[in-house]
Amino acid sequence: MSVEAPTSMSADITTRIEVAHRESGMPTPLVGMLLFIASEVMFFGGLFAAYFNARAGFVGEWGPPSPAPELEILPIALPLTVILLTSSLTMQLGVWAIRRGDQGAMRFWTAITLLLGISFVAGQLYDYSTLGFGISDGVFGTVFYTLTGFHGAHVFGGTVGLTILLARATQGQFSARNHVAVEAISIYWHFVDVVWIALFTTLYFLR
Amino acid sequence: MALRGVDAPPSIGTIGPRRRQPRWTGAPSNQTDAGRGLASPVDEEPRDELMRPSAAPSRPRTALLAVAAFLLVTLVAGCGMLPPDPKTEAAKTVWDLYLIVFIMGATVFVGVEAFIVFAVLRYRRRDDHLPDQLHGNNMIEMIWTAIPTVIVLVLFVLASIALGAVEARTDHPAVTIEVDGFQWQWEFRYLDGDTDPSNDVVVKGSPADPPVMTLPIDEPVRLILRSRDVIHSFYVPHFLIKRDLIPVPEDESLNELELSVTEVGTYGGQCAEFCGDLHARMTFSVQAMTRADYDAWLAAAPHGPPSPPPSASLAPDATVDDLTADRIAFDTRELTAPAGEAFAIRFTNEEDVVHNVAIFRGEERIFTGDPITGPGATIDYVIPPLPPGEYTFQCDYHPVPDMTGTLTVE
Amino acid sequence: MATTTLEPRAETYSRSWVIDWLTTVDHKKIGVLYIVNSFLFFFAAGILALVIRSELAVPGLQFLDEPTYNQAFTMHGTIMIFLFIVPVLSGFANYVVPLQLGAPDMAFPRINALSFWLLPLGGLLIFSGYLFGGAAAEGWTGYAPLSNGVYAGGVGTDLWLIGLTLVGTASILGAVNIIATVFKMRAPGMTLMRMPIFCWTVLVTAVLILLATPVLAAGLIALFIDRNYGGSFFDATAGGHPILWQHIFWFFGHPEVYIVILPAMGVVSEILPVFSRRPLFGYRAFVFATIAIGLLSFSVWAHHMFTTGVVFLPFFAFMTALIAVPTGVKMFNWMATLWRGSISLTTPMLFALGFVTMFLFGGITGVMLSAPAVDFHLQDTYFVVGHLHYVFFGGSVFGVFAATYFWFPKMTGRRLNERLGKVHFWIHFIGFNLAMFPMHPLGISGMPRRIADYSPDAGWTLWNLVSTAGAFMIAISILPFLINVIATFINGERVGDDPWEANTLEWATSSPPPPYNFDKLPPIRSERPVFDLRHKHDLEHLSPEERP
Repeated sequence: MSVEAPTSMSADITTRIEVAHRESGMPTPLVGMLLFIASEVMFFGGLFAAYFNARAGFVGEWGPPSPAPELEILPIALPLTVILLTSSLTMQLGVWAIRRGDQGAMRFWTAITLLLGISFVAGQLYDYSTLGFGISDGVFGTVFYTLTGFHGAHVFGGTVGLTILLARATQGQFSARNHVAVEAISIYWHFVDVVWIALFTTLYFLR
Repeated sequence: MALRGVDAPPSIGTIGPRRRQPRWTGAPSNQTDAGRGLASPVDEEPRDELMRPSAAPSRPRTALLAVAAFLLVTLVAGCGMLPPDPKTEAAKTVWDLYLIVFIMGATVFVGVEAFIVFAVLRYRRRDDHLPDQLHGNNMIEMIWTAIPTVIVLVLFVLASIALGAVEARTDHPAVTIEVDGFQWQWEFRYLDGDTDPSNDVVVKGSPADPPVMTLPIDEPVRLILRSRDVIHSFYVPHFLIKRDLIPVPEDESLNELELSVTEVGTYGGQCAEFCGDLHARMTFSVQAMTRADYDAWLAAAPHGPPSPPPSASLAPDATVDDLTADRIAFDTRELTAPAGEAFAIRFTNEEDVVHNVAIFRGEERIFTGDPITGPGATIDYVIPPLPPGEYTFQCDYHPVPDMTGTLTVE
Repeated sequence: MATTTLEPRAETYSRSWVIDWLTTVDHKKIGVLYIVNSFLFFFAAGILALVIRSELAVPGLQFLDEPTYNQAFTMHGTIMIFLFIVPVLSGFANYVVPLQLGAPDMAFPRINALSFWLLPLGGLLIFSGYLFGGAAAEGWTGYAPLSNGVYAGGVGTDLWLIGLTLVGTASILGAVNIIATVFKMRAPGMTLMRMPIFCWTVLVTAVLILLATPVLAAGLIALFIDRNYGGSFFDATAGGHPILWQHIFWFFGHPEVYIVILPAMGVVSEILPVFSRRPLFGYRAFVFATIAIGLLSFSVWAHHMFTTGVVFLPFFAFMTALIAVPTGVKMFNWMATLWRGSISLTTPMLFALGFVTMFLFGGITGVMLSAPAVDFHLQDTYFVVGHLHYVFFGGSVFGVFAATYFWFPKMTGRRLNERLGKVHFWIHFIGFNLAMFPMHPLGISGMPRRIADYSPDAGWTLWNLVSTAGAFMIAISILPFLINVIATFINGERVGDDPWEANTLEWATSSPPPPYNFDKLPPIRSERPVFDLRHKHDLEHLSPEERP
């Protein structure tokens, strides 16, 4: 009985099953985060489609139902934008820091980002209280609150992620070679910022 | 691939009339085991009938029988695969298109199924040879991609032509009817060109007595489709067409259909977009007649809304029960009335949907109130004296639990 | 007798099997959980089908009132699609894909577990409507305004919305997992073009899920807001539009049907080569056809809306007809795989052939519907119900049974009884055709769908009766299947690594595999590494073209 095949095989097969932490290419958790973000893009896409559909068919002046005032970028919306854009910068500074292995700086910038994120959510809630119309005041109210509300919820989710990052960083769990969670959360945070830019432009400029 | 012990030559179980040598002659059966390498050596037991080649009866005859059976089945099944006789101009075009598409589809179906049945029979495993391991053939694959693409394009062109016929509109249809659909009835309002709706012929119906749309043949008829609540669909199978009634914003144009009936007759129709509880009962029919007959019908049809029925006289202190209908429901499902004296039900209809009140003792109909349509319409139903007992009251147009109640007379 | 050197169930510590299964993150156990859970929902939705068909057998309302009937067909469709067919195929994907890739597990095992457990939760929420005044009753498509708070008051529809959102989330997470696993965890030597075709179809399916299901989620949430927070997305009196719902729903809904069919096509594409002993003909073309179907599936959604009058008909008619081309290419590939093969009609092969022959019919009726003028007659009639059952049932469900019989030995170490399997197949096949074929003449003659009752004068009685008989026959065919499964668990024939003499890597390890899947892998030089191993010496005499 020939046993050539098996023995030549075993010499051939030095496959160590180590695929969970491949050396090459993008780390798997980042792949996962990017895919998740793709799905979130489609989710917001659906909501934006509803917005544009409603706007295209609307008879009359598109905007907050009277007597509520028109949407203005001051005093709230523009500062919120600045806050969120800044937070993306601080987030990235944190990522760069940990890539260098600078745990202290990473903790600092992450904390700043978290504060800015919380400020955004608080600011958004405050904005809601000043607007003078609600989700049940016609289709403009509905799409406005749904879009900004889900965005705000995503920012809130991001702050939860940042809190976890901060907690883990405080315990020294990140290093220059091992910080994929920071990269992943930072990508999510930038995504949330990009969605805001699209929202802000659509609601306050395109109108 | 035989599965006996190492020493036996490849035994192949039940042996048919045509046994072939294994392709790799000379290789003992255990070669397979070794070749399997990392997979475990197979059971010592002979593999069951699964892998054993089967005794084959005469192949061509079996194949022929299979194909014949197939064709027979297809023929029998062919009954019922053609649409009803088309009764409008456009429907004829659609019917012809359907026939072409059906024949194309049936041809592909029969051809492919016959191929598969034939292949499965012809190439049934009979021995252990390994067939040729063809991975592909660029030429064949290009051909069988190109040909279906062409067929699909031809289909699209034919479909577009038919669509043009169906969607064609004239400038001046002979008759224009506004089709109102609502849960769960139809109303047909014949527009006479003036802007006064109070003198229009309006055809109404009920579940027991579906409305009839009367039309002249051989003339273009335009239908304007309006929904009062949810999405409905106006469907007449003999016209091979349906179109949705959609509750659109005020300023948006409504769906329209234009058709020209070609033959005198009565054609059934029914709502074809699920619209709630009584969707299945939302039927109507179309009665097509000659122009002369149609004119006669139109002249004789009542124009304008029916005059409100006079309120019958009641004793000044007679009982008056209040009953309101809104959102396909009565506001109460229990009414009481004194026995032996006439009483009234003051019925208010708050919505733009027709309702009435009818009274039953068991299955027997005691009283039928005239229908009214709101919003804000009221009518007094005067009920003659009734003996004591339990009665049922119900809306004839919406005989659903929410519009059914108990009248206790004592 | 399995004689691998591996200990199939090497346990590191003992714990109760209940806790084990409740907390497992092993893709194989999760796959089994998916499959078992899905079959339970299959039976529940199947009973609803019998309820529907019993009522429709003859004219008159014999057993149900209209509201109950409407809940029945709504729940039947919703459960069958969201809680049976998509999850059961996910279950097979979960089990088989890492094995076929030569990987030890999925990329994100804990998210894998979460994805599963959201399913029974979502399903129970959807069903719980029955306990709170009535389940959702607006059809699985839930069109506005019928599904809004005015016309569908009552919490059943809200529970439906929440349950579906959970199920959709589970799907999306599962898709992330699959895609990451395929791109990051293939064994060395397995280029994408050597990946088993089942993995390809599952990959494209996962991309469709990733991109389409979130749009459904947006729609479900929008409807929930309309119903509960005074929103006006779909309210024509406040600036919204009912048609928006249809666009959002079908933008998801059409890719959804390809989500349902592609994995089953993958299963069939694994089984036909094994039992014809030939490679899948045109593997490369099949991959491109799958990708083409995936892309095109996003461009056809409005063919579900032809009769609304608001759709640009030529574009959607064209794209819908076009998608028949890659589908046809696949059909030809399967046919060419059979041709000049050495065909063994095992039960999985029978179900795979059943798929090919029945899906063909459903595909053809789909092309018929692509012509708007024809669709104007057939939309919302039983013709569409027949079409969808030939592709969903004649296609995907046959594929599911093929997968079950094929991979059962791998999952359990025991092979299902062939005789009972064939009894199951033939009763199932005949019952299926009896049940679903009559729907075509019914629809062509004008019988609308979603009606609880019909007139005795319509001429629809005989076909309806035949269809009901077929439905009960399908139900009966489940009995030999269940008996087979139970008896095989108790005392079935044990098998080794590779009872079918198959092609892909899952057959290169024990049945069932050890928790870590593989100790060693054969060299991977084609999409059939185990076949190559088995025939290394047989094929040396073949020309380079014919060699793997």
